[in-house]
Formats: sequence, C-alpha cells, structure tokens
Amino acid sequence: MARKIRIAIPSKGRLKQPAIQTLQNVGIDILEKERSYISQTSNPRFEIVFARAFVVPVYVHYGAVDLGITGHDLILEREADVYELLDLGFGKCQLVVAVPENSGIKSIDDIPALAKVATEYPNLSRKYFETLGEQVEILGVRGTAELAPALGLAQIIVDLSSSGETLRKNNLKPIAKIIDSTCRLACNKIAYRTIESEISDFLDRLKREECMTN
Amino acid sequence: MPTQIRLFYVSNVFRYSQSYVEREREFWQAGVELVGSNTSETDGEILCLLVSSLRKIGLKQIRLDIGHASLLRNLLNATRLPEEKRNILRTLLANRAQAPLEAFMDKNNFSSKLREAFLQLSSFRSLEQVSSTSFISPELRKANNQLRKLSDLRDVLADYKIEKIVYFDFSLTRKIDYYTGLVFEASVPNIGLPLGGGGRYDNFIEKFGKLKLPATGFALEIEKCLKALTVQGFKVPEKTRTKVLVSSKSRNIGIKTVTLLRDAGVTALLNVKKNEKNKLVKSAKLAEIDYIIFADSSLTKPVTVYDTHSKSYKKEPIRTFLQNIGD
Repeated sequence: MARKIRIAIPSKGRLKQPAIQTLQNVGIDILEKERSYISQTSNPRFEIVFARAFVVPVYVHYGAVDLGITGHDLILEREADVYELLDLGFGKCQLVVAVPENSGIKSIDDIPALAKVATEYPNLSRKYFETLGEQVEILGVRGTAELAPALGLAQIIVDLSSSGETLRKNNLKPIAKIIDSTCRLACNKIAYRTIESEISDFLDRLKREECMTN
Repeated sequence: MPTQIRLFYVSNVFRYSQSYVEREREFWQAGVELVGSNTSETDGEILCLLVSSLRKIGLKQIRLDIGHASLLRNLLNATRLPEEKRNILRTLLANRAQAPLEAFMDKNNFSSKLREAFLQLSSFRSLEQVSSTSFISPELRKANNQLRKLSDLRDVLADYKIEKIVYFDFSLTRKIDYYTGLVFEASVPNIGLPLGGGGRYDNFIEKFGKLKLPATGFALEIEKCLKALTVQGFKVPEKTRTKVLVSSKSRNIGIKTVTLLRDAGVTALLNVKKNEKNKLVKSAKLAEIDYIIFADSSLTKPVTVYDTHSKSYKKEPIRTFLQNIGD
C-alpha cells in the first residue's frame, strides 16, 4: 500500500476554515482530534497535517507533505520551489506598502533614504525595494507590523491587507501594492511526478466543486 | 588530445544561499562530465550512468525526468513576447497550472497552433508521445529539430533498457542558463527533492577560452542519496570491528598480546595497572569493549577471556579466540 497523500493546511488564521471547507466539499472530512497535528480523514487515502501557514510552503518544497494549502504571498516569500496547481479563490489580499496617515509620504518616491521598513515579509520587501532602487532598512517582525510606526520602530510597513480595515484602525494608509495574493494548492514536484494520477483526480474534483459554487 | 574526455569527481561543494529552505552551505557531490561529443548516444550514456549509479548504491523505484532547454527556448521565442511576459509564461509552465496558462495565452493572442503546441508539450509525460509529434507551422519549425533529437534519444535509451523509467517534462529547466539541450533530474518516491541532475552545456566551455567543445554531465547529492536509502529501509551496517581490552600484570606480555591482536585487525587497548576486575569491567563497558583478555603468563598458555555482552568467562588459547571472533 502506498503512503497516504499528505496535505498541509493552516493550523490557525483566516485561511484555516476555508481550507477545511474546501476539503470537505470534495469529501475529505477531517477527523480532527484535539491538538493533534496529523489528522486522519474520512477518505483513507488522505491525511491532514496542521501547520502554520508560513511553514506550509517549506513543508511542500521539502516533500514533508505532498500538497499544501497556503497563500501565494507565503510561497513567494519563502521561495518555495513548488507547483501551484490551483488558485482556490479565497483569502484574497494584497501585500502593500503602508505609512502613517499623517506622514508626508504620499507615494513610493517620497520614501526617505534608509527608511526603516517593518514587515513579516523581509524577502519580498527587500526584493521590491531593490527593484525600485530604494535603499531601505528591513526590520523583520513577527505578527503585528502595524504597530511598528506607532512604537517608533519604523516609518514604513509592508503587510497584507484585504479590506484595509486593520490599516485604517492603526492610522495607516497604503501607498503601493507589491503583489496580489490568494490561497493556492501547492504541490511537491517529486510527489506530482510519482503520484500524478491521484493528484490529478483530486484536482479535478476541486475544480468541479469550484465550478458548482461559482 | 582525445576526441572525448570523461571526468568524474567526488567532492565537497560550497554554495551560498539566502533562502529559508536550503540552509546547508556545504554538501557532498559526486559528478561526471563528458566533454567533446553531442550525439544522442552520449546523452544516453550519461543517463544510463546516472541510473546505474543510483541502482548500484541500492536505490529502488528510480525515475528520470527529462526536458530540453532549447525546445522550451524555441517555443518561447515563437511567442514573440517581450522578455517580461516570457518570464511570466515560464513561471506558468513551471507551475503546471493549466487554467492560468490558458488564460495567459488567450490574453496574449496566441495562434491556435502555438496554443496547441504549448498545451500538448505540457501534457506529455513520455518520450513516446514526443516522438510521435512534429509541428507544421513555420514559427515552430525550429522546435522540430529538438523533437527529433528526443526521439533519437528514446531509441538509445531503449537499447540501454532504461526507457521505461525516463519521463518527459516540458517545464523542467533546472534554473541554470548555460544548459543548451537535454536537462534531467533523478528522483525516487517519498523524497521531496531531486537526488541530482544535470544537462547538456554545449556553449559553456568556449567562454573560458577559444575552444568550442560540447559537453554534458550530472551531479548527485550524496546527503540526499543517503536520505533516500534510509527512507527505503537501508540500514547503515553497524561497526563489526571487535574491541578488546588486554589486562596484564606484565607489560611485556601485555604488549605482545595487543600487538598480536592489532596485527589480526582487532582494535586492542592495553591496561597494565593493577585494577580490580570490577572496575575494569565497568570501564570496559563505558568504552564499548567486547572482550577483556587477562594475559598474565606466556601466550603459549590459554588466556582468560571475559565476554562483556554475555558476562561470562572462558579460558582459551589466544589463537582460538582470534579464530572465533573472525567467524
């Protein structure tokens, strides 16, 4: 019997519920036991690994899991060499550059040299400012980048924004968009080679379900 | 100078990487290069060597996936898209996501022939499928050369009897720009990264001088191969070398004994202090010693052998002891 197909899904956050729902729609019910990281499902061929959305791309890249549900932004940030087989549609957001509403900065051109940028996305931020030829200092933070300007840690943040609500609450305004992102189905490249037919079947079911809900 | 040069190496390699994922700066590679030939026979020889290397170390369920750098390049050129859009197309191909690929081709007004070619090549998994294809439209005529080359290669691989484990992957590029022809990767199930790979680099050597020499080669990552072997159930054999502690009241006889043991390939330590037996046994256990030999008089007489595993004593001539542990 071949090894079960492992799918990593976010263990918390805004992508968790829709990811669980997506799998449920194609008949994969998670028999979740409290605090268990690997869960069996109603489909004996699939098992679920709960992991931080941020590490899902790495798990997929290394083949610790065969498939993963996570944001396109995180796949890029973690430079994971994976197949992005399907855009799952949910988790729409943008990675934006934002500054305090009362700052004089109106666009990227106004950013002062060596400005401090607080972000959970150091890789994408560094690349973005490098392409623009802007010299900035990247400050890697975990969690609440929005707080950094208020605390005087940074003048600029790079963070995800879906409705803009969180930015507004923290008196921040977006001045540029780095990328658009949605949730994706990522696949390990070797797994795709060795169990392509099973993965294709799974993919077809997801696509069919997507057509029906749209 | 010979017309063909065949080289190999096994070496530690250093690579700087800022990526989150690849943290190892040093790893071991075993590789080969074949310089001076660009025939399909040469490509076949290299692929076969890769397969037999992996088989030789005991790996099972090996597969090779091959692509063609120039085939992909020719198709990208045929799109006449600006560089920026070609890169997007490359990423879409590399992602194996069909819907965005189709949407991209529609948006950029691909001719139906070109559209068909991209979809067809992306769907192919075997060289068989590649062999039975040729493009009629003039913009794709150049690509036919590579399709013929791949078809020739399939015949060579059939002669080597490895055609069944070689698959075609149009999107395979190996992220290195100097490849000009065949590119390939080796993998086994349940190991998420390729064990190694390589390709043809016909325009590379001339960059270092005036000599234009075609070449091909591959490298295997040794740590990944070891990991694959472990996953497939291979057990690293335990050290079988026997360790003996010689205890003697006489240094002269003690040295004679350890020399005899060492000459026979046994790891032997000497203890000439007058230690109590209990203490000796304790320290032998710590040093993972298999036997303690008490040799106090001439070696022509039997010695006392203590087996630390069975905790038993035995009296036997040293030659008999050596014969027994040699079995």
